[in-house]
Amino acid sequence: MSSNAPSSSAGGVGSADSAAPRRNSKRPKYSKFTQQELPACKPILTPRWVISAFMLVSIVFIPIGVVSLFASRDVVEIIDRYETECVPENLRDNKVSFIQSDANKTCTRKLRVKKLMKQPIYVYYQLDNFYQNHRRYVKSRSDSQLKDNSSWNDVSSCKPEDMSNGQPIVPCGLIAWSLFNDTYNFSLNNQQLAVNKRGISWKSDRDSKFGNDVFPRNFQNGTLKGGKILDPTVPLSKQEDLIVWMRTAALPTFRKLYGKIERDLQPNETIHVTLENNYNTYSFNGKKKLVLSTTSWLGGKNDFLGIAYLTVGGLCFFLALSFTVVYLLKPRRLGDPSYLSWNRNPGGH
Amino acid sequence: MDSKTPIENLYSIEPALSSSSRRSNFSSKSKSLGGNSIREVNFVDLGPKPVKYGSRGAESETYSMSQREINDEDARLVQINDPVKTNERFEFAGNSIRTGKYSILTFLPRNLFEQFHRVAYVYFLVIAVLNQLPQLAVFGRFASILPLAFVLLVTAVKDAYEDYRRHRADNIENNRPASVLVNHEFQQKKWKDIQVGEIIKIHANETIPCDMVLLSTCDPTGVAYVQTINLDGESNLKTRYAKQETLLKIPEKENVSGVIKCEKPNRNIYGFQANMEVDGKRVSLGPSNIILRGCELKNTTWAVGVAVYAGRETKAMLNNSGAPSKRSRLETHMNLEIIFLSLFLTALCTVVSVCAAVWLRRHRDELDYLPFYRRKDFSEDEEENYNYYGWGLEILFTFLMSVIVFQIMIPISLYISMELVRVGQAYFMIRDTQMYDEASNSRFQCRALNINEDLGQIKYIFSDKTGTLTENKMEFQCASIWGVDYNGGKVSSQDQKDGYFVQVDGKVLRPKMVVKTDPELLQFARSGKETKEGSHIHDFFLALAACNTIVPLIVDTPDPTLKLIDYQGESPDEQALVYAAAAYGFMLIERTSGHIVIDIQGERQRFNVLGLHEFDSDRKRMSVILGLPNKSVKAFVKGADTTMFSVIDRSSNTSIIRATEAHLHSYSSIGLRTLVIGMRELSTSEFEEWHSAFEVASTALMGRASLLRKVASNVESNLCILGASGIEDKLQGGVPEAIESLRTAGIKVWVLTGDKQETAISIGYSSKLLTNKMTQIIVNNNSKESCRKSLEDAIIMSKKLTTMSGTTNDTGRTLGAASLTPVALIIDGTSLVYILDSELEERLFELASNCSVVLCCRVAPLQKAGIVALVKKRTSDMTLAIGDGANDVSMIQMADVGVGISGQEGRQAVMASDFAMGQFRFLVTLLLVHGHWNYQRMGYMILYNFYRNAVFVLVLFWYVLFTCFTLTTAINEWSSVLYSVIYTSVPTIVVGILDKDLSRRTLLKYPQLYGAGHREECYNKTLFWITMIDTVWQSAVVFYIPLLAYWRSTIDASSIGDLWTLAVVILVNLHLAMDVIRWNWITHAAIWGSIIATFICVIIIDAVPTLVGYWAIFHIARTGLFWLCLLAIIVTALIPRFVVKVLYQFYTPCDVQIAREAEKFQAEIQSAAVEVEMNPILDHPRP
Repeated sequence: MSSNAPSSSAGGVGSADSAAPRRNSKRPKYSKFTQQELPACKPILTPRWVISAFMLVSIVFIPIGVVSLFASRDVVEIIDRYETECVPENLRDNKVSFIQSDANKTCTRKLRVKKLMKQPIYVYYQLDNFYQNHRRYVKSRSDSQLKDNSSWNDVSSCKPEDMSNGQPIVPCGLIAWSLFNDTYNFSLNNQQLAVNKRGISWKSDRDSKFGNDVFPRNFQNGTLKGGKILDPTVPLSKQEDLIVWMRTAALPTFRKLYGKIERDLQPNETIHVTLENNYNTYSFNGKKKLVLSTTSWLGGKNDFLGIAYLTVGGLCFFLALSFTVVYLLKPRRLGDPSYLSWNRNPGGH
Repeated sequence: MDSKTPIENLYSIEPALSSSSRRSNFSSKSKSLGGNSIREVNFVDLGPKPVKYGSRGAESETYSMSQREINDEDARLVQINDPVKTNERFEFAGNSIRTGKYSILTFLPRNLFEQFHRVAYVYFLVIAVLNQLPQLAVFGRFASILPLAFVLLVTAVKDAYEDYRRHRADNIENNRPASVLVNHEFQQKKWKDIQVGEIIKIHANETIPCDMVLLSTCDPTGVAYVQTINLDGESNLKTRYAKQETLLKIPEKENVSGVIKCEKPNRNIYGFQANMEVDGKRVSLGPSNIILRGCELKNTTWAVGVAVYAGRETKAMLNNSGAPSKRSRLETHMNLEIIFLSLFLTALCTVVSVCAAVWLRRHRDELDYLPFYRRKDFSEDEEENYNYYGWGLEILFTFLMSVIVFQIMIPISLYISMELVRVGQAYFMIRDTQMYDEASNSRFQCRALNINEDLGQIKYIFSDKTGTLTENKMEFQCASIWGVDYNGGKVSSQDQKDGYFVQVDGKVLRPKMVVKTDPELLQFARSGKETKEGSHIHDFFLALAACNTIVPLIVDTPDPTLKLIDYQGESPDEQALVYAAAAYGFMLIERTSGHIVIDIQGERQRFNVLGLHEFDSDRKRMSVILGLPNKSVKAFVKGADTTMFSVIDRSSNTSIIRATEAHLHSYSSIGLRTLVIGMRELSTSEFEEWHSAFEVASTALMGRASLLRKVASNVESNLCILGASGIEDKLQGGVPEAIESLRTAGIKVWVLTGDKQETAISIGYSSKLLTNKMTQIIVNNNSKESCRKSLEDAIIMSKKLTTMSGTTNDTGRTLGAASLTPVALIIDGTSLVYILDSELEERLFELASNCSVVLCCRVAPLQKAGIVALVKKRTSDMTLAIGDGANDVSMIQMADVGVGISGQEGRQAVMASDFAMGQFRFLVTLLLVHGHWNYQRMGYMILYNFYRNAVFVLVLFWYVLFTCFTLTTAINEWSSVLYSVIYTSVPTIVVGILDKDLSRRTLLKYPQLYGAGHREECYNKTLFWITMIDTVWQSAVVFYIPLLAYWRSTIDASSIGDLWTLAVVILVNLHLAMDVIRWNWITHAAIWGSIIATFICVIIIDAVPTLVGYWAIFHIARTGLFWLCLLAIIVTALIPRFVVKVLYQFYTPCDVQIAREAEKFQAEIQSAAVEVEMNPILDHPRP
């Protein structure tokens, strides 16, 4: 698209000074700007441009699609849904009362590695149908309290989980209260498989959002226990599970990082998971899943983007082709004055 | 006298004025009509009371109003030189003025009150207030108020600054000094301290501080000259007289006392009624005895007067009213779409609240303990529900909250953007060098800021003739004297070059303007009055030189021996006649109220002016009674032929009368304005009779005007015809070409003129309005029945003519080029009297819409408005009225767009207009270029703003579906607020001001391109709905691509919110970029700058640790997925629009599109193929 100087009226500039301007002449000063004649580029969608644009998009998109799809396929994922299996069979009719009872909730799961999983292997828990983006929920937190020990009683925004026994709760609010509290222990060939739980949260959160002098206080002391009980001796900035949990998920189906396994897992190895099934998702029919996954440059396993890119790229390729055909079959000379409506209409002249 | 009534009346003026300041506009006119100087004074009030157009009754009603006599209760009494007594009974307004609206105390409440008159702001406010309720707090307090507060603040600061300037100007004005008589000597006093009744002395070139009645001047005859340029814009000098009775009094020495009884303050600057009692004598005062505030005293060393109206009661202040406000058509259409959008908004909110209700219902048993809902609050001893108000209220709250969240679906910012864009467009229109008029040194003026885009859709133009199509610079062309036609004047010999001059005391006096002369006539004129021809010619030119109200001014030139005579007067016709007389050796040298001095062929003669009957529109003639040096008394009369022939003595000289009539006809058929001049010699007894009647009439207290008229008609009878004059009213430059262009553009041009039919038709030919190919239908009737008949005949005929050569379709598409057998309708004012306001209007409209040209002649000002109303009522087409005189005011205000020509005749038309310019031909640039651009820009901008806001709202809406319908927004609340303020506002405004679809040259070359506005190509319902469908698609792409890409991932709300924010902003800006036609550096800066600014803003917002989204952008921007999502969103979202656009542009191209392509690719081919015919309109003005 070529840049084109505007068709300014020829010789317009020169004559301004020829007529000696009167003392208080109100003649507007001539400038390209005020006469709306700034040099401008006037792109026009010619068939060539259109076809090239579509071709360009397909040339860019199809490889990206292929690469993304491969990246997604490279990711090895083990997903284990356990919320039903980890309830003793005889109690499955009333899971809520089971989860609220003091019964032993330990449960063992076997996970088979199908493909080689290169380290680091991320351990996630996935919750379905849990609306961490519910308005009541996301509002129920106190960022100043989390950051700063001196505003420990700033709990006004934390309702309904602001006070317990007349004392402010640290960390207050529904989010902290409902902290996920299932635990996983992995063993491979009867050997403990170490799960690194450090560095799973954002560094920025540890440094700036959660104070290292803020300690849990009066937490989970109320009538209704929501979830995990925090160690009151550890400052919030070190409570990484809490920090991860407090970054509320955008969507009702989400994963949260539990830890990292920092060794490769070979195909056909079987991992034994001993898990404490404490978290109550039964009251709202939420699903719980344990996920072990490697990552690619694109993140986790998700074919969508690759497919999307391939589709759009393919579509553009098709459009480019069809425009070419249409253009060859039915060309139109651009800017032909005989197409102007008053020239086309036989009534004219 | 009843002291109570006047006060009540005084106050009752106030509301009347304030209500009339909107629409009504006092109009008055001093305008040449039919070759005479006519002074009409009428009130045109289009406001509350219904006006009857075309009925003579209404007209005469207004006359009687302005000429009524003063009743005691309507009068104000002014004691000369006794302000204390004057003011003791009624407190008359002091002379201090206050144009400022606010004081420091009242500023805040009043300004806020005025700002909230806009519905948009009220909507803003209601939403902000709703948001303050704790149950509905969607946004933070600050974030929700910020936009409204910002807009209010900016407007308030602007208002405050303007008001401050007004206050400062008032202050300067109020503190100007004036010399006021106190204790028998003139002392300096500030203007604000002047009181009614005080005697004030004005020196030359001083501005007059208040309206005052002249008492005496430096001139022994009591003449004072004032320039009224500040009042009505007329730069010529006006004569004002002091009365003989007060002339000789010297206020310093003797005690001047007396009482002036005058009318209540009113807005009529050309009218004044009063009488004065001095020394027991009653003297009547008229408009020529008063000098008005704001005028300047010129050519007069001093003048003394008594203040009668001061401060806000002066006529200048009473006339201070703004331009009428109109609403553009695009905006009216837009409001309909806004209603659609609000329905859509309501639908969205309903969906959300119904879904929320269903969700609550299905989970009603779980709500207490649901970790993300937890209805129960255990913090208190008693368990209670937290923030739950039961079914009904929860649903209601959800609804209201969704209104708050989706509020920008109604694009409030659009109104503000539109105002900014219009200001920008106005800037460029004002700055257009091609609309600058060299002659009058005037730029284009944009007086109304809200109808710029209407200029792109004009279908009818109603134009005045005199001063609009023509220059209103009269030039004497030819004369018929005593039945002989003298119209040579083509020869310009050396002798004539300098014209006639006289020598006085070694100094040369020469008229300022040189007139072409007929050598034969010149010869006769010089030969003296001995021959028969000579005496008639002598009388004829004497009449021209004497029978007028022109004031000769002697102007110095750099050459000390040469002085110029400048003839100043209110009527350009009279000026032309006096210059002509001077050129033939009858040079008017001096005029006072009592005598005139005329230099006749080098011999100075003094004539006593015994009486002067001024022009009025009923008589359509004026007369002057002269006492000649040889003691005889003659009455010279000049006037329009229609009224003159009825008072001419037809018994004698029939052949001369017939010859003159023939000449008159031939003059007017070549477009000249004609005047008939007659004379009558008065015998002593006749003179005595007239004199006594005149004395009685001019001092009469009751019915003076009508008495004077009667006296005048008595003396103006049995005249002996002297001849007739033909004055050319030259066409303005470029008028024929302009009319041609406008007609090609599919605009119907109607000319409404006060001139007579022959003149109008000849001007029609010379301005290319009428061509030889046209069939003329002339309607001249004197009764309703004959009108009906001729209209019906005409309709049948016009139908036959137009259908004969094929089918006309009236869409404007074919009209331009395909006016098949064009029909021109010529109709006169008399017929219109019967047609307007009757059932015949319908017929006339039917006929007129078949005709390609309509010419109305002999129409009165209100009829002009009536014709505009006739068209406006029956079509949805846009009308434009253009005129220059006060007689066009009513039509200018009636039309959708009013354009005033700031030319020769005052500023009344300009004051009432929406746009004002110097020349008629600028209309082409204004409509075809700026109008086209403005319409295209504004149309696109409105659609784009709808789209821009709706796409954002829909993204929010989609997300709400995944949050249990609880109106959570992933997009940060600050981003929501800034979206329409920073992220996306600048590019649309810049594009709305700067984008051009076609160059000026192309638009002028193909006027047919203007049809885009007629066909509503840039903004219509189809486009709106297509845009809305596109909006839904784009918002879905923006939302669902990240949703699916991040499903089951660890993504947090803030990060994906940032992605959505950036995706929407980039998409919306690129969407605009795709439609930009001309990319200059400002457009580049605005579009790319906005995207960069958005990134910066998002980064800043995410760098605030107290916000939830702290550092989110840095985390997500580090991943490849983020960028791939962004790319996919933008390409996928824009593909459908792009494909549709390409297909549309390539296979069903509109004219504008082809012209654009031609502009780019075919410049060379075009210039070779089509004859290189530069439009003369382009050539005239040179920047």
